[in-house]
Amino acid sequence: MTQITALMTDDHRSCDEAFARAETAASKSKWDEASVALEQFISALESHFDAEESFLFPRFEAATGMTEGPTKVMRGEHAEMRSALERMRDALVRKDRDDYAGEAETLLILMQQHNMKEENILYPMCDSQLPAGEVSAALGERLRAGAQ
Amino acid sequence: MIPAGQSLSYDSAPAFSTPLRFFLTAPAFGIATGATLLAVPELLDSRWTPGALAVTHLIAVGFMLSVMLGALLQILPVVAGAVIPLSGAVSTVVHLALTIGAICLAWGLGSGAHGYLVPATVLLGGALALFLIAAAVGLRRAPIAQATPRDLRLALLGFGIAVTLGIALALVLARDVTLPLLIVLKLHIGWALLGGAGVLLAATSWVVVPMFQITPNYPVALTRFWAMGTGSVLVLWSAAVLGELVSAEFALAIVLTGSCVAFAVSTLRLQRQSRRSVPDVTMRAFQLGMASFIAGLACVLVAHQSDQAVWPVLAGILVLHGGFVSVTVGMLYKIVPFLAWLHLTQEKGKAPNMKKLQPDTPVRRQLMAHAVALVMLVLAAVGGHAVLVRAAGVVLVIEFGWLLANLLKVIAAYRNARAAS
Repeated sequence: MTQITALMTDDHRSCDEAFARAETAASKSKWDEASVALEQFISALESHFDAEESFLFPRFEAATGMTEGPTKVMRGEHAEMRSALERMRDALVRKDRDDYAGEAETLLILMQQHNMKEENILYPMCDSQLPAGEVSAALGERLRAGAQ
Repeated sequence: MIPAGQSLSYDSAPAFSTPLRFFLTAPAFGIATGATLLAVPELLDSRWTPGALAVTHLIAVGFMLSVMLGALLQILPVVAGAVIPLSGAVSTVVHLALTIGAICLAWGLGSGAHGYLVPATVLLGGALALFLIAAAVGLRRAPIAQATPRDLRLALLGFGIAVTLGIALALVLARDVTLPLLIVLKLHIGWALLGGAGVLLAATSWVVVPMFQITPNYPVALTRFWAMGTGSVLVLWSAAVLGELVSAEFALAIVLTGSCVAFAVSTLRLQRQSRRSVPDVTMRAFQLGMASFIAGLACVLVAHQSDQAVWPVLAGILVLHGGFVSVTVGMLYKIVPFLAWLHLTQEKGKAPNMKKLQPDTPVRRQLMAHAVALVMLVLAAVGGHAVLVRAAGVVLVIEFGWLLANLLKVIAAYRNARAAS
């Protein structure tokens, strides 16, 4: 595994942990705790999306000349995940445990199949097309800034 | 640069019907297995009875291979970036040939009408050959650096070898071709269950367990070397079998068993570290599967050293029904509702969430029926009474009928949501 792939894959796993904390709290009807955990998860995911959409993808597009390729598909999937996050927020506001569990399950699969594409295909391509050391350092800074 | 045809888009993913046809016919083979046990209870007396050979292939080919090929058509683009050319047409032909071929194979083996084995070999060999060619074309352009795509290729190779050996065995029975039957049979079982299905399960688990059950990753040594290492030992074991080097064969069988147990134990250990507080049906199915694999592998080793007919039968039940069927069912319960959701979202812009498409309760109950069926099968094999075998057959019919009903309910929910919006 090379630098960009390793960094972004680790960040995916870190987002997963935040997702699980929110899911655990909601399954026990601890609504306040679930709400805090969900907002932390959304914030972590948004930082990740932002690092990709405003930095990694444009660099990849500039290097390859492909603006209608995989980065466009990934942006579309980010939009779908943002919709799913809104539905999870809504279910928490309504304190609807079953609905939250269903929306969370849907997001988890949507997110993980998205992550599989990035980790197995797109990030390795970024590693081969971009100066991986410089790009991963800048990405790391963005992810750290987002986490604060 | 990005290879042509590799777009990562859902648009390049196959139509819903492409994998679905495999998933919907597979439970019928499970129902047929239960019905056969009901009709011919003496089939569990030994692994060599015609009925035992028939039900083994109903499960291994009709159920397992069918679901595995259907799932591969869906996941190869996602996991490996491989776009299967003409996936709709390939799926139709492979599915038809596999389904009819599995029926001919089970009937030919079970009824003693060995003439049916010839069309079975043509259909199954043709189905797998077509699938492998289509997958190879798709994988040709895919990046291979990651462990999973590499291991997927190894699994496809394993299936290819297993089916070739199976065709040779069928020709021995149907056409009086002269081959050392026992040797080819051992190799066929080793390559089918370990080289093909086992490696495919491992390749899938490297991705599915950490991602969907939110566990730590498998140890790097395992994901990097397990499939290659196990495959290499399998080659050595095959050489020992061919050379009739009994001691070397047993020693290598112990190494292979140890390797499989290491995979199963590692999976169970990771699942215990899952961040998800409520274990879902898929995780439970994997836990049952891994525990069954460990018990089944112990029976394999005992069977090596014992003349009692019960050990190979127990090994078959625990590895096939307890191991592979468990994890396959667990995967189906993730794949089918997600595909329904995905296709609804693509077509209509919105969809009910996955638990509305597939409620938890019937799924949990079906998995309970599966666990009960496993216990009944083990008791039937040990006890040997016709009543026990028939009772196990009834529970198997219920188990697979329930699975089919649960999958059809997802399709009904998909159709209702499609019609409503």
